[in-house]
Order: sequence, then structure tokens, then C-alpha cells
Amino acid sequence: MHFEPNDEQVALRDSLARLLAEQHDHETRRRIAASEAGSSPALWQQLVDLGLTALPVPEAHGGLGGRGADQLVVMQEIGRSLLASPLLGSCLVPTAALAALEGGQPAGLLSALVGGEQLAWAHDEPDGDGSARWVATRARRDGETWRLAGAKAAVHHGRGAARFLVSARLEGEAGDADGRALFVVEPDAAGLQARALRLIDDTPALALTLQGVAAQPLALDSGGAARAIDAALATGIAGVCAELLGGMEAALRLTVDYLGTRQQFGRVIGDNQALRHALADMLVGVEMARSMAIVAAVQLDRCAEPDALADIHRAKLVVARHARALAESAVQLHGGIGMTEEYAVGNYLRRVLVLETCFGDADVHVQHLDASTPEAVATLAL
Amino acid sequence: MNLDLTPEQLAFRDDVRAFIRERLPADIRERLRLGYLASKDDTVRWQRILAERGWAAPHWPRAYGGAELGQVERIILLDELQRAPAPVPQVFNINMLGPVLLQFGTPEQKATFLPKLARLDLWFCQGFSEPGAGSDLASLRTTARRDGEHYVVDGQKIWTSTAHVADWMFALVRTDTAAQRHRGISFLLIDLKTPGVTVRPIRSIDGAHHLNEVFLDGVRVPVAHRVGDEGQGWECARFLLANERSGIANVGACRERLQRARELATTTRRAGRRLIDDTHLRHELATLDAELRALEVTNQRFLLTESARAANPAFASVLKLRGTALQQQLHGLLVRLGGAPVREHVDDPQEGGAPAATATDTTPVPHYVERYLYSRAGSIYGGTSEIQRDLVAKSLLA
Repeated sequence: MHFEPNDEQVALRDSLARLLAEQHDHETRRRIAASEAGSSPALWQQLVDLGLTALPVPEAHGGLGGRGADQLVVMQEIGRSLLASPLLGSCLVPTAALAALEGGQPAGLLSALVGGEQLAWAHDEPDGDGSARWVATRARRDGETWRLAGAKAAVHHGRGAARFLVSARLEGEAGDADGRALFVVEPDAAGLQARALRLIDDTPALALTLQGVAAQPLALDSGGAARAIDAALATGIAGVCAELLGGMEAALRLTVDYLGTRQQFGRVIGDNQALRHALADMLVGVEMARSMAIVAAVQLDRCAEPDALADIHRAKLVVARHARALAESAVQLHGGIGMTEEYAVGNYLRRVLVLETCFGDADVHVQHLDASTPEAVATLAL
Repeated sequence: MNLDLTPEQLAFRDDVRAFIRERLPADIRERLRLGYLASKDDTVRWQRILAERGWAAPHWPRAYGGAELGQVERIILLDELQRAPAPVPQVFNINMLGPVLLQFGTPEQKATFLPKLARLDLWFCQGFSEPGAGSDLASLRTTARRDGEHYVVDGQKIWTSTAHVADWMFALVRTDTAAQRHRGISFLLIDLKTPGVTVRPIRSIDGAHHLNEVFLDGVRVPVAHRVGDEGQGWECARFLLANERSGIANVGACRERLQRARELATTTRRAGRRLIDDTHLRHELATLDAELRALEVTNQRFLLTESARAANPAFASVLKLRGTALQQQLHGLLVRLGGAPVREHVDDPQEGGAPAATATDTTPVPHYVERYLYSRAGSIYGGTSEIQRDLVAKSLLA
């Protein structure tokens, strides 16, 4: 058992932390959020230059063949900095999906990702729960062309994407394991409507409506598509856990500083036991989240195995619970200033609200775990 | 980063599992499954079996009956014992006093006491708390006045669990009333058969007799039974508490209770349907399972990684806070799942209660409710949860 990052991961983490400290302070963040695009292409290019988009891509496709633990240290820093970045949804997640397709991927997609091209993950649907099986969007063959019809909800950073990676269904009903497929859709395809929106944490997103949109098939076999979607969601979950952890650490740090400086009744408020105890519970939450972010990162490397995938769902369940509790306490302990949009701490709570539902909310994870317990299996066998 | 045991560690775990499967007496296992605390008889019988492999004192030197296990193997052994469920090595002898003697004891003290501690030929209890010294332990007032080659001890200890079945007590006493309060304390080993020792029972809210008051009235203790130097008692106590950390999270015990809850929920029908068919309950079980995984990895992380401990000096408090909270939650869940029938209370004859009503009725009544009630002590002894939060906050705010 080993729980610490290795030397290369520490070096990577430190470079990224330095970059974000210099280029993404809170004022810059607010300026980016207020801009029309809601993201910074210049900052994205710096992440690409740092090698982050090459990190997850297999070496055979020009990448660095990184592992879950590499992703952990990167996403933790992004979370700490509250950076609204396409890295997870438009690079790490689609990379995992493409890498899971056995030899079936069109040449060039992965190497384009290495170069910084964004492939936005479009899986969640307006009526769905973010789970792997909820795909209602239909795919049908029209001569030599595949056409998609349906809707995709809140595709993060969709506007900056070169293409969309879209899940759709060849047969069956939403919620069925069989019948899912994966396609690539061009943003200027006829019949594709994109409504730009902002999430509560300032993340720019697109709501997609697909009406007979031409699409290039990536995986038409049910097994292949299922593996790719599972790998994508596992990567997304592990990334969210790491991002939440980084945010928790930052919110705790802000709260510690505030309790040590803010004076009321002639003394620092950090002298009050009620506040100190709330702070202690926040640290307990951080340590539980840290453990499970590590678990998710390590198990990501073998996420096709059921026990590893169960651990990944456990991680999201635990990290999201503790992240919400911690962010609420951070706001509470800051008092009025915690309620202001201008001050950083409340923005961590906003980020938690978005991340906790990404790649499945608590109900989805509980249902996955419930269905994989021995008793449940035994019950099904009866 | 990796979460895996090495092949050698896996082999060790299998060895422990096989040993427990073959050797753990069925009656002991059944009592623990039903929520009873291990009695003295349970613990002695099992610990003498464990002693065959040195596992009665897992981390002690072989010369004194231990197995010199490393930290990973210690975690595995404790985890497997708790999951079985089997009694764990008697904590006062093995986790507390043994390491203190190894660190501070004279060669004679080590030779005299350690082998007997390992085999439970002597049962020690812990005499720390006093009526006026709970969380504020250093305010203790029991005195030991030097009289030739003896100390004469006067005072009172309280909440002394197992004192009524113990042979000896290790105690903190004040040998210098003039010194600064932490410096005037010494660590003594007291034979409870010495004249002037009176043990009085305290029945706890679970209806059983675990706790006692120990009155010390002119008790003569040979100076040779002082551990460490005079005035070094506080240092011994701090060392003892630091050593207690390796079992503080009780992950295996929580795992076992969760498994018991799953079994009960699967086999129990209430109002015409199985408890496990309730969605809300299944959510609760899945959430507890996930939270336990977090505690398990946090425990491994802190116990196995120096840098993790350095980054969080209050790690033991984090483990105790979370461990006791989850244990109490699980015991509460078992009360709910056990339902109305378990609220019938039958005293445990092994814990000072009357013998079972009929001699033929040998099946023990489940003790989930009693165990839940006693579990409330978990966040009080060994430093209350409030003290633990103070320590965590201090590590952040100074």
C-alpha cells in the first residue's frame, strides 16, 4: 500500500500550482466568468503547453500514458484554484472513452486531443440521472449516414469544443444496458441546436437538441459502447473527486485564515470553541475525502473490474457528502462575507453544487453499490 | 499510489483467517455477533490460543511472547479479529502497559511482567481517571508518599473498567505535590490484593458491570513497582496514549457490525416484508459501507505513512472522531433492525448479571440495545470527542 504521489507527480502538481497562482487569481477568475465565452483560451493553451492534455493519452497515440494518480494531482490543483476548465469534460473523459474502444477509434481523434483540441462529452440528458445507462437519444441509419435525435443537457465548455462525443441508442429504452452506441458530431452539423447557458458556478455549457443530426459512428456494438461509457464516467467521477478535494482544502485554508484574523468582542473569533469544533469537523471531512479521492484515482486504472468500479462509486458518494458539508460550514464560519459573490469562499459551495451531480448524483452511486452487494445478487438469483 | 497488499501480506491475511476459522471457539463468536462485549473468560481463553502464534501481543518482541509484526500486519490481524468477530488482545495489557514497560521499564520489570501480560496470567486495568480529573487528567489528586522502599498511596480512581476482575492496576499518582502539575506525576503498578484497595461497582446504562470506582487507602506499593523515574509518569502516559492509536479507528469492528446489519435486514421480516426490501435502508447501508471504506483507507494512510502523519499532527483525533461516530451509528442501526424483541433485557451473567432464568436455555438473548448503550462511552473515554475536536482545531489554528 502506498498513498503518496511520486516525484514526477509532485513536480507536475507544483508546476500547475505555480501556473494557476500566477495566472488565475480570484480577480482573474471573476473577469473570465464575466466574459462572454466564460473561459480563457489563453489559459487553456498554457495547460496544453504544460502537457496536461497529453497526460491521459496512450503513448501509441502520442500521449504520455498517464494513470489515475497523475489525473488526481492535476484535478486537485484545478479544484483548489476554482478553475472552470474543459480539461476534465473535453479531454480526460473523452480520452478514456476513446482509449476503451478496442482498435475501433478513427485515427487522429486521440492525437488531436493531445494537441489541445476539445472533444466535449455529451452524455447526460435533461430527463436523465447522469448514470451510464440513461441514454434516450436515438440513432438510426439513413442510407450511408447515421442520424441522431434527442437532447443532451449542460455539455460543459461545449462552445470551445471542436466536436461532440455523443451517446445514443440503437434499440431498447433509456435505462437499458444494451443498445447504446457512441458517435462524433460536428458542431456545425445541420439539425443541431445549441443553447448557451451558465451553470451556478459560472461554468459555460451548451444544451443540445439533436434533430436528425448526421453523426460519425465510433462504437455501434453494445459491449464496446458500454465499456467506453463506463470508462468515461469512471474517469469523470475520479476527476470530480480530486477537484472537490482541492476545493475542500482551499475552502478550509480560507476559513482557518479568517478565524485567525477576524475580531469580534475584542478577540479573534477562532478563540470560540463552537467555531473551532466546526473547523475540526471540516478537517475530518477533508481527510475522508482525500482517502477516497486516492481510492478513485488508483481504482481508475482497473475500472473495468467490478470491485474497482464499486470503489469509484463509493468515492464520489463520500467525497460529495463531505464536500457539501465542508463548503456549507466554510460559508457559515465566514458569516456575512461568506454570502458574497465577490469573495472566494462561497464560490466553492457553488462549485460543489455542480460537481456533486456530475457523472451521477448520490442516488446513482448508491444504486450502483446496492446492485453490486452480495445480498442483491443473491436476491436476483432466487 | 496503490492500495494492494503484497503477496506476503495476502498470505499473512489468509493465514490469520484460517487460524481464526479453525480455532475461534464458536460460543465466543456467537456472543460477540449478538452484541456482547468479550468477557474476561472470552478474552483469556482466546488470547491463550492466539499466544501460540505470538499474536496475543502482535507487535511485541518475540522474547516476551510477541510476534514482532510490522504495521501492515498489525492492521491486518486486528481487522481480521474484529471482522470474525473474535476478542482482540486485552488492550490494557497489550496496547497500553506492555509498550510502556518496553520503553521505560527496568530489566526486572520486563522479565517479571511482560510474559504474564501476554498470556493474561495477570489482568491489568487502567487507573487514570479520577472524580476531579477526567478530560483534565493532569489535575489528578491521588498521592503517593515515599516511605522507605515503599510508596503509600491515597486517593480514588473512577471509571476503571474491568477493575473487578483485574489482578493489578497501572495508575498515575502524584508523587510531588509541590511540582508543576505535569511534573509531579509518577506511574505505578499496584497489586489490587494489597490491603487498603477497595473496588466498588458502577452499573452503566447498559445494565452491566464494566466500570468501577477504586479506592486507595494507605496502599503500600514497593518502589520497585514504579515504571520510569519519579516524576516521569506524565511522559509515560503520553507515550501510552500515542501507542493506542493503531487500533483507534476500529474499522474491522464497524465492518462486522455492518455485515451483521445486512444479515439481520435480509433475514428479518416485519409487517409482512423483508427489511432489506426497503429502499431507504439499502441507501443507508450503501452509504455506511462507503463511509467505512473512507475510514479504512484513512487509517491505513496515517498508520503507514510518516508524511501523512506529519501533514496532520492531529491524525489520531481524526481517526477516533470518525471511528466512534460510525460505530455509534452502526450500533444505533442494529437497535432499529433488531426491533422490539431485542429490547427485552436479560443481564449478562458474565458481566455481573444474574444467571439465565432456565438452565436449559443456553441461547443468549441479543444484546444490540445494551451494546448501543455502552457504545455511547466510545466518544467519552480516551479523550472525549470535544477534546479531540479541540486537538484538531489546535493543529490548525494553534
